[in-house]
Amino acid sequence: MADARRNFNTITLVLIPVAIAINIAVGQLIYTLKIPLYLDSIGTVLVGVLAGPLAGALTGLISNLVWGLSGLNVTYAPFAAVAAVIGLLAGVFAEAKWLRTWWKAILAGVITGIISAAISAPISAYVFGGVTGAGTDVIVAIFRGFGFGLLPSSFAQGVTSDPLDKAITFLLVWLIVRALPMRFLSRFPGASNISA
Amino acid sequence: MAEAIGLYLPRASFVHRLHPVTKLAISGFILVAGLALPGMWSPYLLVLFGMLPLAVLSRVFRVLASRTWRIVVPFMISVFLIQGILWSGGTPLIGFGPISFKREGLQFAVASTGRILIVVSSFLWFALTTRPDMLMSALAQRGLSPSLSYLIVSSIQIVPRFQARAATILDAQRARGLEVTGSMLRRMRAVVPLVVPLILSSLIDVEERALAIEARGFNHPGPKTSFVEITQAGWEAFLQWFLVLAMAATLIFRFLSR
Repeated sequence: MADARRNFNTITLVLIPVAIAINIAVGQLIYTLKIPLYLDSIGTVLVGVLAGPLAGALTGLISNLVWGLSGLNVTYAPFAAVAAVIGLLAGVFAEAKWLRTWWKAILAGVITGIISAAISAPISAYVFGGVTGAGTDVIVAIFRGFGFGLLPSSFAQGVTSDPLDKAITFLLVWLIVRALPMRFLSRFPGASNISA
Repeated sequence: MAEAIGLYLPRASFVHRLHPVTKLAISGFILVAGLALPGMWSPYLLVLFGMLPLAVLSRVFRVLASRTWRIVVPFMISVFLIQGILWSGGTPLIGFGPISFKREGLQFAVASTGRILIVVSSFLWFALTTRPDMLMSALAQRGLSPSLSYLIVSSIQIVPRFQARAATILDAQRARGLEVTGSMLRRMRAVVPLVVPLILSSLIDVEERALAIEARGFNHPGPKTSFVEITQAGWEAFLQWFLVLAMAATLIFRFLSR
C-alpha cells in the first residue's frame, strides 16, 4: 500500500511539468491561429481534474511563474493567484462529478471564467491600470465612457472573454479525458470522478 | 541544460557571477518597493536609480530596454487614452473640442505606467541575468523541496520540445488538408484537431517519465546531492538578509501609512 501511494505521487509530480508545457505550447499555438481565445490553462484544468484541487492550484501557480521567470510573458506573473484558483476550481468541479457530462463541463468552465474575471479585475486595476494593452481594451473604454468605475470596467473586459475561454478549455479537457486509456487514468486519484 | 525556454544571456559581468538568490532578492526588493512606495513618481525613481545602473552593470541594457519597451508601450497607450480621457468627474486639463484629458486620469495613468514598468523590467532583468536551473539548484540547497525544484526545472526544459511537437502537428494536419487560415469560424474549427493530438501525445510520455525518475531513486528518502554546487561570498548573504528586511520594512511602512 505504501508503495502504491509513493508511485501515485510520482505520476502526479511528472504530470505537472508536462501540463505546464501544454499550457505554454497550446497557448502559443492558439496565438498563432489568431483566435480571440487564450486556451492557456488546459494543462492546469487537466491536472485539477486528474489529480485533485491542490495539484491543480500548484500547476496554475507555477505555470504563471514560469511564464514570468522565463521572460516569455512577464505580464502573466502577477496573475499567478488567478491561475491557482482556476486549477483549484477544476479539481472541485471534478470531485462534484461535473466532468462526466459535456454540458456540466461547459457550465463548470463558465463559472470558473466568471470567478477568474472577478479575481483578475483588482490585480489588473492595481498593477496594469485596468487595461490589457490589447484589442479588448475597447470594452474597458466603453464602460469607462459610461461612467463606470475602474474595477467594474476591468471586470467587464474579463467577463466578455474568460467564461467562453474557460468553457472551451473545460470542454476540451472533457474530450481529452474521454480519449485517454483507462490504464493511464486509473493511476490518478481523480479517475473515479471522471468515468462512472 | 541543452535546451530550455528563457531569456538568459551569458555575459561576462559581475552581476552574472552573483548568487541567484542575491539577484532574486534584488529584483524582489525593486518589485515590492515599486509597487508599495507612495507617490506616482517613485517607480520611475527606482527604475532610474535601481534598474538602469543594474542593467548597465550586467551588460544587458539594450536587450532589457527594447524588450521592456515593447511590452510597456501598448499598456501605456491604452492607459493614457482610456483612463486619461474617460476618467469620470475629473478636472479637464488639455482639451480638443469635446475630448479632454483629466488631471486625475493622467495622474493615475502615470502611476500605472510606472508600476507596469517596474513589474516588467524587474522580471526581465532577473530572467536575462539568471539561469533558471541555477536558481532552482541554489534554492534546493537552501532547503526548497527537491520535488518543487524538479517541477520548475523540468517544465522549463520540456517546453521547447513541446513547441517543436506543436509545429509538427500543425504541419501534419495542414498536409491532410486542415485549414488554419481564412475566416474566424474556419480557424476555430482547427482548434480541436490541433490541440487534442498535441495533448494526447504529450501525456503518453508521463508514464515513462515516472518510471524513469523512480528508477533513478527520485523517491529515495534522505538528503540529496547536487551536480552543481553554487557558492556565494559572505557579503552576499548579508545583502540578501538586508534586502529581505528592507522588503518587509517597505510593506510595513505601506500598511501603517494608510
